[in-house]
Amino acid sequence: MELNASGLWELFLYSMSMWWIMVPAIMIGIVMGAIPGFAAHNTIIMLLPLTLAFDVDVALTFMVALYCASHLGGGIPAILMNIPGTGGAAATTLDGYQMAKQGRAAKALALSFVASVGGGLISSILTLFLLPYLAEAGFYIRSIEMIVIMLFGLALIAAIAAKDMLKGLIAGALGLMLGAMGADHIYATPRGTFGMLELFDGVPLVPALVGLFAISEALVMIESRGGAAETAMRVTPTWRETFANIRSACRHWWLTLWTGVLGLVIGVTPGAGASIAAFVAYQQAQLFSRTPEKFGSGCEEGVVAPESANNGVTTGTLVPLLAIGIPGGSTAAVMMIVLQYHGVPFGPRLFATEPLMAYGVIMSMVVAYILMIFTVFPMARYLSSVTIVPSCYMGPIIIAFSLVGAYVPRGFMFDLGVAVAFGLIGYIARKTGYHVAAILIGVILGPLLEKSFLLVMRLSGDDMGAMFSSTLGNILWGALALTLLGPPLAARLMRGRAAV
Amino acid sequence: MTLIRPTRRGFIQAAGFGAASVALGAPGLGRAQSYPDRPINVTIPTGEGGGADRDSRVFASVWTKYLGADLEYGYYPGAAGQVGYEFYMQRDKDAYNLIFANLGPEVIMLELQDTGIVIGEDIVYIQQISSEPMAVFSSGRSPITSLQQLVDEGKKRPVTVAVSRLPHPGSIGMLALAEATGANFVLVPYGGGNPSAMAAITMETDCCVLPMANPIALIDQVNILGVFAGANPAPAESKGAPTVNGALGTSIPNFDSSRAWGIHKEAYDAFPDRVAHLKQIMNEAVNDPAYAEAVKGAGLPTTFIDVGGEDVAMATAAATKELAAKYKTLLSGA
Repeated sequence: MELNASGLWELFLYSMSMWWIMVPAIMIGIVMGAIPGFAAHNTIIMLLPLTLAFDVDVALTFMVALYCASHLGGGIPAILMNIPGTGGAAATTLDGYQMAKQGRAAKALALSFVASVGGGLISSILTLFLLPYLAEAGFYIRSIEMIVIMLFGLALIAAIAAKDMLKGLIAGALGLMLGAMGADHIYATPRGTFGMLELFDGVPLVPALVGLFAISEALVMIESRGGAAETAMRVTPTWRETFANIRSACRHWWLTLWTGVLGLVIGVTPGAGASIAAFVAYQQAQLFSRTPEKFGSGCEEGVVAPESANNGVTTGTLVPLLAIGIPGGSTAAVMMIVLQYHGVPFGPRLFATEPLMAYGVIMSMVVAYILMIFTVFPMARYLSSVTIVPSCYMGPIIIAFSLVGAYVPRGFMFDLGVAVAFGLIGYIARKTGYHVAAILIGVILGPLLEKSFLLVMRLSGDDMGAMFSSTLGNILWGALALTLLGPPLAARLMRGRAAV
Repeated sequence: MTLIRPTRRGFIQAAGFGAASVALGAPGLGRAQSYPDRPINVTIPTGEGGGADRDSRVFASVWTKYLGADLEYGYYPGAAGQVGYEFYMQRDKDAYNLIFANLGPEVIMLELQDTGIVIGEDIVYIQQISSEPMAVFSSGRSPITSLQQLVDEGKKRPVTVAVSRLPHPGSIGMLALAEATGANFVLVPYGGGNPSAMAAITMETDCCVLPMANPIALIDQVNILGVFAGANPAPAESKGAPTVNGALGTSIPNFDSSRAWGIHKEAYDAFPDRVAHLKQIMNEAVNDPAYAEAVKGAGLPTTFIDVGGEDVAMATAAATKELAAKYKTLLSGA
């Protein structure tokens, strides 16, 4: 099938004809994505008997729509209750929940939905046209490049530390140490597990996330009898206000565009994921913002950047599966099982034998995001009503949701204890002025960074010089140096000029 | 292009079937049996979407007809499979908990890592269903297109080899190859089959060694350089890849990985009738032509089907354990 205008139109119409499966998939995806601990891959696994019973193209459309919607759904509890159900939504809490506390939950939700749909739509359309070139990106972004990309995310710790250098760095270092727990990546030697089998695979991410953010916030809320409800609007916004919020969110189109593309490129690399993309996008958005000091205090760009990026990742993770035949993430891996079950080849052979299906997967994403416009935007009005729940009820609700979310991914009672322990760490951090986000960034990115670093060392025979052996890597190193050193040097230059 | 345009009626039928399957379990041919009267838990010591997940589901698509109960999967990756095995040992020992094992890497892991789990004393493998040799392959873009070239290169410089994990038959195979030829191979564990294959395809590493089904699935993009077997079991699917010994004139032992179902020894002793029933219906399922069709449908060569009862599965485990003991020093980084 040639990708000319009429072919595309035919594909679009065909995908549109699948609306009857996409709409329920979107609704399931949003609900499951909004429940902490659930993600697209475990939802799809639960529904596997259903998807295996479908025709293969219906099954793929269903899974793709559910996948996209679940990423969007993850932003809802992050904004309303400070519960990031997945690593990809963690960066959204930084400004999203602050906006909710300021009574701007409806606005934050509108920003999240517009950025998610916009980022997803842009990345899907780009993928449709640039799939072979994007697949090539996977050949250039290797372990060295991944190290630098993750350092961009870790640079956020430095930005947080800028407000209180010592506390910021201590919090970041604590996060990195916690992230280093578990079996090492080369010899599988357990480190800091205290003999607990549940920690062999590292600190479980979701319990750590909900503990640090949600449980600690709930404890503060219960203690102070404050929180989102005390300052929030006491009325549900009108339709007029809801549409005004959506229009206003569309003003961030440029940020949505480039952070969506950033997410797409990061998503193309197997192993990289939404959490890396969201933190890197947040860090870059802050860097290029005219008002970087507002980040972390309810800044609109702080919601747009991570949400757009983590939806860009959804498309990116399918690129290696479609173009090479290797899944870029756990959801893509489950999709591969469905393809195999139906005897459908993947990788280049999919394009040779089933081109309509191959491009149809991407077009399904485009259509899913279009359909989401009609299904999720009205939610921005009603979902914000959550913030009018009094904190005496909200605190326990948050803790209950968080504990459920902590339990779901692995089904271990142990993880409830991890969530509570991280909740206490987060509570102490909040009370003593340490930033929980700095701890979290270390927990999320630390193990990924360590793995890539160990791979590079193993590949190079422990030669540190290998870190600078790649052209793309060196370009990224330069960009990282500019990112870290540029702003203070520019500020010094400005001060010097002012003094003259 | 064979797309079937779906209909709403078809969807409702499929949804109804799926929902009924989820709610009620697959239609039971064995309802007369009191065992099993509830779903059976399957522990998979690797992540969802991997080779073990694929193979167990292909088998289950036929086996559940004989079993008359649903299977509930639990994925416990980590520490080269140790996490999954340790969690399996904590489950109720009532024959309602089974483990789907990848005998090669997991037996090696149990030998190398201090788990306290002993095959035969704690776990018994009751049915082997498939077996595939390890294959070493390079990217389709790589200048290395033959095993001889790989070995020659390994004599000039350290050649990097992507492996799923160090305790793996593929890793031992490459160490044995290095020992036999004098080449220098550096094993780089990527933590799974998919990332390892990706490392080779993108040429981050010079080559990769994995169970043969992996490079066959990627045959358009890789060159299979050699197979650690006496004879290539899938010559057509692997573009006639040579055996390692055939290509180099060496006498390296076969390195393969077999899928097998395991059960707690305690359950094996306490519920012999249940175990006998499991063995019988597993054997029936694996010999059912529908199983061969399902394997073929999943894009795997049917020659990988390697049926064996408890004696065969345990003998495979014992042979793998012996190999692990031989290469223990090299694999544990000592």
